[in-house]
Amino acid sequence: MLRTVKDLQTGQNVVLSDKDLEFVKRIQSGKIPDSNFDNFAPWIDWFSSDVMDTPLRSMPPSKTSFLPSKIDKMKISKMVHAIKMGWMKPKPKPSTEPNFYMLWESDDKADEMRRVHDHIPAPKVRLPSNAESYNPPSEYLFDEKEMKDWDSKDDEPWKRRYNFIPQKYKSLREVPAYDNYTRERFQRCLDLYLCPRAKKMRLTIKAEDLVPQLPNPKDLQPFPTICSMIFKGHSHMVRSITLEPHGQFFASGSEDGTVKVWEIATGRCMKTFEFGCVIRWVEWCPNKSLSLLAVAADSDVMLINPGVGDKLIIEKTDLLLSETPDQGDYHPSERVKGAVQWEPVDEEKWSKGIRILIRHFKNVNQVTWHAKGDYFASVMSDGQNRSVLIHQLSSRRSQLPLNRSKGLIQCVLFHPIRPIFFIATQRHVRVYDLLKQEMVKKLISGAKWISSMSIHPGGDNVIVGTYDKKVMWFDLDLSTKPYQTLRFHGNAVRSVAFHKRYPLFASGSDDCNLIISHGMVYNDLLQNPLIVPVKKLRGHDKFSDFGILSIMFHNMQPWVFSSGADKTIRLYT
Amino acid sequence: MAEVQDKPNSTASSALSLQVRFVTKQEQYSIPDFPYSISANVGTEELNSVINRVLIEDDVIEKQKDFDFLIGGEFLRGTLEELVLRHEALKEKIVDDKDEEDAEQKKIGVEEVIEVEYVERTPAPEPENCLMHDDWVSAVDATSNWILTGCYDATLHLWTGKGKHKQGASHDQTVMIWEWDLSNNNVSCKWICKGHERSVECIKPDRHATHLASGSWDGQLKIWTVEADKPTADGAVGESTPSKGATKTPLMTLAGHKESVSAVQWSDEKELITASWDHTIKLWDVEMGGMKTDIAGNKAFFDMSWSELNKTAITSSADRHIRLYDPRSNEGSLVKCMFTSHNGWVSSVNWSTTNENLFVSGSHDKLMKLWDRRSPRAPLYNMTGHTENILCTSWANSDYMMSGGSDNTLRIFKAKTDLK
Repeated sequence: MLRTVKDLQTGQNVVLSDKDLEFVKRIQSGKIPDSNFDNFAPWIDWFSSDVMDTPLRSMPPSKTSFLPSKIDKMKISKMVHAIKMGWMKPKPKPSTEPNFYMLWESDDKADEMRRVHDHIPAPKVRLPSNAESYNPPSEYLFDEKEMKDWDSKDDEPWKRRYNFIPQKYKSLREVPAYDNYTRERFQRCLDLYLCPRAKKMRLTIKAEDLVPQLPNPKDLQPFPTICSMIFKGHSHMVRSITLEPHGQFFASGSEDGTVKVWEIATGRCMKTFEFGCVIRWVEWCPNKSLSLLAVAADSDVMLINPGVGDKLIIEKTDLLLSETPDQGDYHPSERVKGAVQWEPVDEEKWSKGIRILIRHFKNVNQVTWHAKGDYFASVMSDGQNRSVLIHQLSSRRSQLPLNRSKGLIQCVLFHPIRPIFFIATQRHVRVYDLLKQEMVKKLISGAKWISSMSIHPGGDNVIVGTYDKKVMWFDLDLSTKPYQTLRFHGNAVRSVAFHKRYPLFASGSDDCNLIISHGMVYNDLLQNPLIVPVKKLRGHDKFSDFGILSIMFHNMQPWVFSSGADKTIRLYT
Repeated sequence: MAEVQDKPNSTASSALSLQVRFVTKQEQYSIPDFPYSISANVGTEELNSVINRVLIEDDVIEKQKDFDFLIGGEFLRGTLEELVLRHEALKEKIVDDKDEEDAEQKKIGVEEVIEVEYVERTPAPEPENCLMHDDWVSAVDATSNWILTGCYDATLHLWTGKGKHKQGASHDQTVMIWEWDLSNNNVSCKWICKGHERSVECIKPDRHATHLASGSWDGQLKIWTVEADKPTADGAVGESTPSKGATKTPLMTLAGHKESVSAVQWSDEKELITASWDHTIKLWDVEMGGMKTDIAGNKAFFDMSWSELNKTAITSSADRHIRLYDPRSNEGSLVKCMFTSHNGWVSSVNWSTTNENLFVSGSHDKLMKLWDRRSPRAPLYNMTGHTENILCTSWANSDYMMSGGSDNTLRIFKAKTDLK
């Protein structure tokens, strides 16, 4: 057997045992020589990270492991130096852009692709109608008259209804070429290219938004709503009514020549004064300690003592007016004397209630009192330059405030607080300062003919009624033009009035309507007056084209009175 | 009770039927307390027939009697269905508002047994007399035998109940008032009470007739004494003959109203109630001489009447409504009830002195109406006759209701109020 092997070191032959042989074979086959060695024995990690109670080794960690490496330090300082000197730069970042992309990716996002923003589509060509058909219905074919019409418009072809003559063919094959095709296409291109296109802006304002925001009339109560009483007794048109300053009675002057005094609460006619001539105006003296009523009858102005109310005051008034104040050496100028005369009152007239009689040279249209009750003014429309007179009751003198004629004077008004006097001519309202004796303002109404005016108790607002159906509100602080013009009446406005306590004003017109409006004036100068029409009251009948002639408010209650051409006076509450 | 129960059902055509129970406070007419099933579309007449049938069966009454039916404190005027459905609607609203304190409202509904109280119907007043005057009658008052009227022609008329005319410048020594008169005078010219600045609008003596309160246009309320040793007439109005009477000055002046005092009434010894054109009702303490409370309305008050029996005041104002106020309470709505039927200004209102539920009102629509407090929607009776505005009414004599107007007449209606 080949078991005998020569040992090179000793030079002796050695016989290999079985064990040796296996040993050799294992080596030759690259295995671990020891056949008993377990190649896959479980691994025991003695030097694990677990801290053992009794460590296998108790060597302290080496010192070097705590010291920074010197080589590393040198390398780093080199790099830092290089960065500082700018020799070393960070690598440029690789671009994130993809190298390849979809060229047509944004095709479906139309908006981004559009060159022109807010594109306006081209106007569409009109679609062909039946007339353009190769086989139009026979009514589209021209008859002789239409043919003649076509021929006559050779010079002005744009006036023709069609730009071709409708023709009928048996089949589409027989239709000849269209001569104008090229020109029409060219025209169309020109249209698209040259005609500027504009976007049509649609108006988005609603009709309701244009109407001003007004409060609900229900929230503006109280105001008169219903006719509560009818005062009957006059036999002709009732021209004018006036309220007693205490508000218990009122007086009315009528065309039948009487002045009647009524009690408001019951509708009782308390007194009747007969004058026998047309009573144009009555006005109660605002002074509560006098019982006087100014009456304009034809060319006379009479102050009568109606004899209602406080007896003491009635007596005192009589006593006061029975004696004429001493005029001293005062003599009225010729001009005044020619216009007006204070006549003595005889027994007979005294017993009729007349206390003072002032004869004018023309018919008196209006009498109005100053708020204090001493001065009163009378107006004669056709008195030329002497049409306005101011009388003083205590001294019994008259004066003419105007030197020149300012036109046809309609009515006058005293300012309730300040010494200011309003004169309404046909078209304007002139505002005079009585102390400085000059014109302060001229309110331009723009109307053709002013009929009446009334002033707000605060004194800064005036309403003017005109014969051309308008009521104008002037804010004196704001402008000389009307702040608001109300056109609610269907006919001439005859009378306007303010309420003394409630924010109400009213206008009465020949169309028999009495319109109550809420007119709130604010103390705040920045806030303009609020005007809301709240109620239309009807009741009076028309009589020879006249409707309501005069209106007034009660001084305390939200009640309004109107006198009409139908001989009645109505109370609305 | 089955047969009674069935009969109304057999005649009924309406699908809805209600359970009702009849009760009464008038003992003589009481019927057994059973719920009845009644068709809903019945009115007072049908209910009347039910009650009458039961009463006649039980031999309580011999012939038919008319009753009125109170449901939840309100008179039945239309059909039962109407009223119940109205209450149902109200109930839903209350539930919506989460306000369920009104327990009384809940008792009336389709599904509950409705308690119907029946009372004998107030008999219709009959026109009794018509007294002609020479001028508008502006004031009227009455005692058991006498009727006193004030006229616009400055005269005072004293009438016996029979209508015999006794013209006169008055008797006894009542204070005399008259509109547009400066002075406030007494009668038979014992005194003239001077002090008011404007016309005196109203006057009332207190219970013992020792004091007088008068209100005038100038907004002042004045209190006058009447000498105790003289027998006083009951709130009369007399003619002024200043030459004879001695002048009297007011005991006290209560200023507070801004406008005319239109009505004054003593509510007890020391308390006055006034109504004024300045939209307020004020309570005055006479002893202290000052105002106690005031109630604000929103219209000028023309007249006011305060009832001793139910302690509430009815007022008439510058519109067509009559309003019921309770001066004692000031929480909740001031107007407890509103009576609307007149078509013109109501010029005068007066409580009955014997029945706490009845009152009369006179209006510018020429009608005098008799009302029950529990029936705000419709008056009990209209009394016609006047051809012009009614200016004054009186029910001081509980047998007669009177109204004077601008047609120069005083109309007297006999009130057949034999209730209580």
